[in-house]
Amino acid sequence: MRNIFLCDNNIFTQQTNILLYLKIGCTCRYPQNLSQVKHTCLKGHFTCNSRIMLLPFLLRGCTAKHYVQLSSTRLCINCCNIRELATSGGQLFFRRTPQRFLNQSRGAKTHKRKPQEDDWRKRNKTVLTYIAAAGVGMIGLSYAAVPLYRLYCQATGLGGTAVAGHNTDQVETMKPIRERIIKVTFNADTHASIQWNFRPQQSEIYVVPGETALAFYKARNPTDKPVIGISTYNVVPFEAGQYFNKIQCFCFEEQRLNPHEEVDMPVFFYIDPEFDDDPRMARVDTITLSYTFFEAKEGQQLPLPGYS
Amino acid sequence: MSTAMNFGNKTFRPRPPDKGAFPLDHFGECKSFKETYMRCLKDNRFDNSRCRAESKTYLQCRMDRQLMAKEPFEKLGFKDLLEEPAEKHEAKS
Repeated sequence: MRNIFLCDNNIFTQQTNILLYLKIGCTCRYPQNLSQVKHTCLKGHFTCNSRIMLLPFLLRGCTAKHYVQLSSTRLCINCCNIRELATSGGQLFFRRTPQRFLNQSRGAKTHKRKPQEDDWRKRNKTVLTYIAAAGVGMIGLSYAAVPLYRLYCQATGLGGTAVAGHNTDQVETMKPIRERIIKVTFNADTHASIQWNFRPQQSEIYVVPGETALAFYKARNPTDKPVIGISTYNVVPFEAGQYFNKIQCFCFEEQRLNPHEEVDMPVFFYIDPEFDDDPRMARVDTITLSYTFFEAKEGQQLPLPGYS
Repeated sequence: MSTAMNFGNKTFRPRPPDKGAFPLDHFGECKSFKETYMRCLKDNRFDNSRCRAESKTYLQCRMDRQLMAKEPFEKLGFKDLLEEPAEKHEAKS
């Protein structure tokens, strides 16, 4: 307790005067000789040792004479309570905490709440910061996902079509399902700008799932100039398209036909045996394979399907 | 192709062939094999199962004339056709 305390350095044995010295840094002590102190209605006045620091205090506290009612047993308690008056000036030079301790009994709740509220506010702020950071992180991730997915597709070879990819080794081991006969019809189209005569050489073929089959198309260039064509295909019904696997065909690559040339274009394909297990394909008996030829310009780079 | 205005449906995604594209037979080297195959299909009411031997010979022709990458026929799904001659040999011997 380093604040201003009352201490009694000198207790006069006289009955009417008790001289109490107020000195900085003194500790409160009971008077040495209680018997010497006469009680009730004793006058007392404070003096203090003046130090230069305590000049304002000096001016305020020391010159005032204070009449205290003292009893023998409560001498020290009262002298300690005089702190309340004395520290008002001294708080300029000392920590403010003693004021709080002094007024503790009165304003206990408000002073306890303040640090707690500050605590909560601080915690709320940190939580909010974390949430905001997470939100920004999510937005950034969604933007980064596009190139990342492309990288992943390149690495794993899925090529953007995350279909349950058919196994190319399956051709060796698959067993044809003789009970299920499927009719495959063929269709040939040309784009308006290409002048080829493009048609299938058979209108239909009966295949079973799990068996490889060969089909032919014929293309003829009636013009006097070489024409480069490129084709793509389509399978109807849509869901059957995933079971239609081509081992080799003439699509997606530039095919050049010299003037007045006619060629046979084979398609080597099979239908996945799992076609028979699919309940959606239970009533599908006909699959139509449709090829369309477009004219390709010299030096034109056409993107391959499924590879961006 | 997808001429209908069905925006909500999934569009058809063509897949490239497993072994690439056939080179064009500009000189008609395998035309006779093709004709045999087509005749077989016509005779058997376009049943593929009966004309598999002919399709195998056509592919063999292509391989011989550098019009197709050489591959063992098991990988092309002709394992059953290859086993038959082996069985016949065993039966004979």
